[in-house]
Amino acid sequence: MITTPLIRFADVSKVYHLESGDFTALDHITLDIDDNEFVAIMGPSGSGKSTMMNQLGILDVPTSGELFISGRNVASLTALERTHMRRDTIGYIFQKFYLIPLLSAYENVEYPLILKYKKRDESGKAAAVLQSVGFDEAMRAHRPNQLSGGQQQRVAIARALVNDPKILLCDEPTGNLDRKTGHQIMDILCGLHAEGKTVVIVTHDPKIAEYANRTITLEDGRIAA
Amino acid sequence: MKDIFFDLSVRSVRLNLLRSILASIGIVIGVVAISSMGMLGTNMQLQVKDQLSSGADTIVITADAVRMGPPGSGPTSSSSSATGISKTQLNKIKLAAGSTSKIIPIDSTNTEFTLLSTSGRSSVYGINPDDITKFLTISNGTNIEGINDALAGSTIATNFNLKIGSRIRIGKDTEESRPVVRIVGILAERGMSSDNVNTDNAIVVSNDWYTNQYGGKDTYSQVNVIVKDINTITDVETAIDAKLNTDTKKPAVKISDASSRISSISSSLSSITAFILAIGGISLLVAAMSIFNVMMMSVNERIQEIGILLSIGTEKGEVRRMFLYEAVILGILGAGIGGLGSLIIGYSVVSYMIGTTESFFLPESIMYIPIGMAFGLLVCILSGVYPAWRASNMDPIDALRSE
Repeated sequence: MITTPLIRFADVSKVYHLESGDFTALDHITLDIDDNEFVAIMGPSGSGKSTMMNQLGILDVPTSGELFISGRNVASLTALERTHMRRDTIGYIFQKFYLIPLLSAYENVEYPLILKYKKRDESGKAAAVLQSVGFDEAMRAHRPNQLSGGQQQRVAIARALVNDPKILLCDEPTGNLDRKTGHQIMDILCGLHAEGKTVVIVTHDPKIAEYANRTITLEDGRIAA
Repeated sequence: MKDIFFDLSVRSVRLNLLRSILASIGIVIGVVAISSMGMLGTNMQLQVKDQLSSGADTIVITADAVRMGPPGSGPTSSSSSATGISKTQLNKIKLAAGSTSKIIPIDSTNTEFTLLSTSGRSSVYGINPDDITKFLTISNGTNIEGINDALAGSTIATNFNLKIGSRIRIGKDTEESRPVVRIVGILAERGMSSDNVNTDNAIVVSNDWYTNQYGGKDTYSQVNVIVKDINTITDVETAIDAKLNTDTKKPAVKISDASSRISSISSSLSSITAFILAIGGISLLVAAMSIFNVMMMSVNERIQEIGILLSIGTEKGEVRRMFLYEAVILGILGAGIGGLGSLIIGYSVVSYMIGTTESFFLPESIMYIPIGMAFGLLVCILSGVYPAWRASNMDPIDALRSE
């Protein structure tokens, strides 16, 4: 029996149809990422990093080829199934944190639980996860704009983790943070990897890429190394 | 369950409180316009119906307009038999209406009169004194007894300060014979009456005095038939019609009753009500546009937030719900304040325009408040449908990228 890897790109291409002509963002990518890998995706801007993240995050579907995530062919899923996979299988961590501005820190972490269980969290899980990423308990009622970058990213990590996803997708997670805070965040991600999460991180900072076990470099939509 | 999407909507409204309030004011105005206008129209109808229905048991028979006789023949010409209802016709009416009905022949004309040096103009009704009390109420004084006795209507009595015993001269200054009548009684206020006998601004004299003065003996301006049982009114009308209007192409008399008058007045009042309601409706349409505008602004300002919500696994339906809640909040705000405003403004308008609010709290009037509120809410929700749909159908990648 062949076990499928957690993530499999099988000859995946993504072509954008622009007025100036077709633009191939991903060019026949074939790639497997196994459970509990820590992968860094690098490359200059325009190399297809973001497109690849959108594919991994099930925000988009390939133009051709097949993408399997957790054994399921993304293109064959309905829009609602893709939404549920985003909620349950993947945790997103963005460069700009992307917290929900109208919700408090705690509510931002609670939010994915509400999406999943259609009710307010009474298990204390949101609070526990928020504490595990080193968020200051006293600030849980603060809105995102009242928090420092480092605190916001901790909230974002807690939000990504709260539904126990298999995959953590990090798009330049330290891009908006100072060096020291950046390394703290990376330490948290390393800890999560050690606990068994699969971490995929997009960065153009080689120092950050050093945390990963495997580095994939993209160039013009192809895997260069 | 406390819905987080409802919380988000409430917070969004509070974040843009001024804008939300301004948009809701449109709904407030719309609701107040619809409710007040509706209530005004209804109160008008109820009031008129109330006044008209006092004579609902009365059939009014007049000579048909086409048979009014040759031009120039006025009420003073006694020779023309076609100026009104003739004695023969009256007898036929009595026969057709049966013994249980009250048959009241009435003469009427308009004239000038003078009281001391003041002159005025009024209607003069000539009615048999025995018939007067069958349908008129004397609020003060006695019924006509002597030939020169007369009754005065309530308005004319007030305006000319007529008292029991006042003497007035009937007829124009230029006329030679200007007989004097003596007021023996004042009639109760009758309002706009459905039986064509509007005594408030009239002088009522005996039929003998009337024919002495104006001629036209055995001819009457109209005959009122008061039926005993209101349910038989149609049967009586049919019987009279069969007896008198033998030539269907040229009916000799016109038969009408309050119900036909009420329905014709009501239907024209309904048209007026519908028209003013439509004006209220226009203000709701304008309000709908401002709600739509505010909702679109809210969606456009929150594109990135929508992107976040969608990308971390919020269902389209949940995003849609969030924006529809916002529309509902604006609607409830507007409709609530509007409902309260309608009560106050509607009451004032009805009180000012109609002069009485006795029908204001009747269900058919007060129901315009919930109706107006429901319309306001509905308009808000409908205005929110497209913005909510737009928000939920955004591409999360594009939405996230927007600043």
